[in-house]
Amino acid sequence: MSGGIKIRESRCRGCANCIKSCPTEALRVIDGLVRILPDLCIDCGECIRSCKDKAITVNDDEWDLIKTREGLILMADPTFYVQVGAYSRPRLMKEALEHHGLRDLSEWASLAFDLAAFASARLIRDAGDNLPYISTYCPAVIRLIQINHPELVGRILPVESPLETAVSIWREETGAEESVTLVSPCPAKATLVRNPVGREQSSLEYVVSVRKVIRDLLACNVKVTGTKTKAISRRWLLWSISGGESRHISSFFDKGFTSISVSGLRNTQDLLNELELGRLSGVDFIECRACDLGCIGGTGTYESRFLSQLRLDNIEAEWMPSGEEMEQIRSWYDKDIWRLTAPVTAKERLPLSKDIKEAMAKLREMDAIYAELPHIDCGACGRPSCRALAEDIVRGQGEVTDCVFKLRERITNLSGEIKNLSSKLPHTLHPGRKRR
Amino acid sequence: MEEYAILAGDFSAIGEASTKFKATLKMLGIPSDLVRRASVIAYEAEMNALIHGGGGVLRMTVYDDRLEIVARDEGPGIPDVSLAMQEGYSTATDEIRELGFGAGMGLPNIDRNADSLLIETEIDKGTTLLATVIFPSP
Repeated sequence: MSGGIKIRESRCRGCANCIKSCPTEALRVIDGLVRILPDLCIDCGECIRSCKDKAITVNDDEWDLIKTREGLILMADPTFYVQVGAYSRPRLMKEALEHHGLRDLSEWASLAFDLAAFASARLIRDAGDNLPYISTYCPAVIRLIQINHPELVGRILPVESPLETAVSIWREETGAEESVTLVSPCPAKATLVRNPVGREQSSLEYVVSVRKVIRDLLACNVKVTGTKTKAISRRWLLWSISGGESRHISSFFDKGFTSISVSGLRNTQDLLNELELGRLSGVDFIECRACDLGCIGGTGTYESRFLSQLRLDNIEAEWMPSGEEMEQIRSWYDKDIWRLTAPVTAKERLPLSKDIKEAMAKLREMDAIYAELPHIDCGACGRPSCRALAEDIVRGQGEVTDCVFKLRERITNLSGEIKNLSSKLPHTLHPGRKRR
Repeated sequence: MEEYAILAGDFSAIGEASTKFKATLKMLGIPSDLVRRASVIAYEAEMNALIHGGGGVLRMTVYDDRLEIVARDEGPGIPDVSLAMQEGYSTATDEIRELGFGAGMGLPNIDRNADSLLIETEIDKGTTLLATVIFPSP
């Protein structure tokens, strides 16, 4: 876990519904409360979806406190601009935000997304044999690769999130020093602020979910005219749907560009497995998004992902930047502002033991424990599966009687023994002899 | 010598055995590049056994200095092993090629990823393949 997910303990009933939804088996219920194994959590938000008590949420900052600040500056994710029909152009949203004394950085975002697509196209073009590259945009996918596919970290495109780059460009260009709040569609992007990968420190200070800001805007129902603000390009909004990033990159290719775009964790895991087995030759770029349909399916969004998709489908994006825009893209490209400053490293889970002989012994022990368990993966022990319980036991983080069936077995054995023992009498009380 | 064996009998889903092996090797703390090589070997062996051998049995044994993958099928056997080891040579049917398999890369790919490879084959009886990956000494 990189801090994208928050558990509200007062709401958790310890029902164990969430633990089975987790794609990396990172959840446990201990003493009636759900807990996250930080080494395994990828901040994808599947547990948020599965919790009926809303006990798991995006770990964002207190919006009610943040919004009271003077001249608040928002760096909003592209999904933010397709949540409400009336504000589904960046210029209209800008006007609506201004009514609330809020400012967004959409003109800088537009440039940063163009820049990211341009830089990605350059890297892919010059990659030689090291293809396909993998998109860096979804932080949950990056975490999944770090933990489960260490062999693939070298394929991650060293281009930072344009949400970061936009703020860096804005600061450099204007000298602004105000803090910036990220408006995030999901727990994974909240980690950009909480625990950035590939850079020392985030350019963003706070994070709030898309849903909270949209709710406030809708509550006031501001009418916008669209005449007060300058037009802003819309091609970058398509990054919020699966395939949009690849489409943007391909616009900077004059010859063939082959990409595969998938969304949803199951598709992502399958595709990464195929890549690791060397099945994807001839592919230049892989775009994976943890959420169904892409970022519009994030757990921190407001609008139905289907309606967001409809709005995005209706955007007739002008893919070619204007001459003036192109000049800006090139000049920022030369400044390398878009590049990840630190390498993305593997974060594999610890083996059962550092010594292979000992690890083999523990693995055999684990198999023996597992063989005795009921294999129905009921979840009552607080683990997602019988195998996970067996692993926790050999790692010293649980005991066999955590399993209700094993506990019942022990009690049955014990009661049998009690019955057996109670029928035994001391020699001095032998029933065959009459006591005088 | 310590050993740990894992059996992937009667596999039906593509990649099933290699996924199972991979999880095991990770828990044993085998370096990730060796895990990848073992996965590729298991995967290609699995595909070969499915395509040509009509299914089979795959077994991986881990020792403290190496791992061995044995794939056994009761298929038609390989008439000319040295030909089968050539890149691009395949006897796969057109139907299988249409599925994107049978490119004649299976055995060469196993050979590339294994430190040693032994193939025993008998016509109409079946094929047994033994691939070894040696762990670098610590």
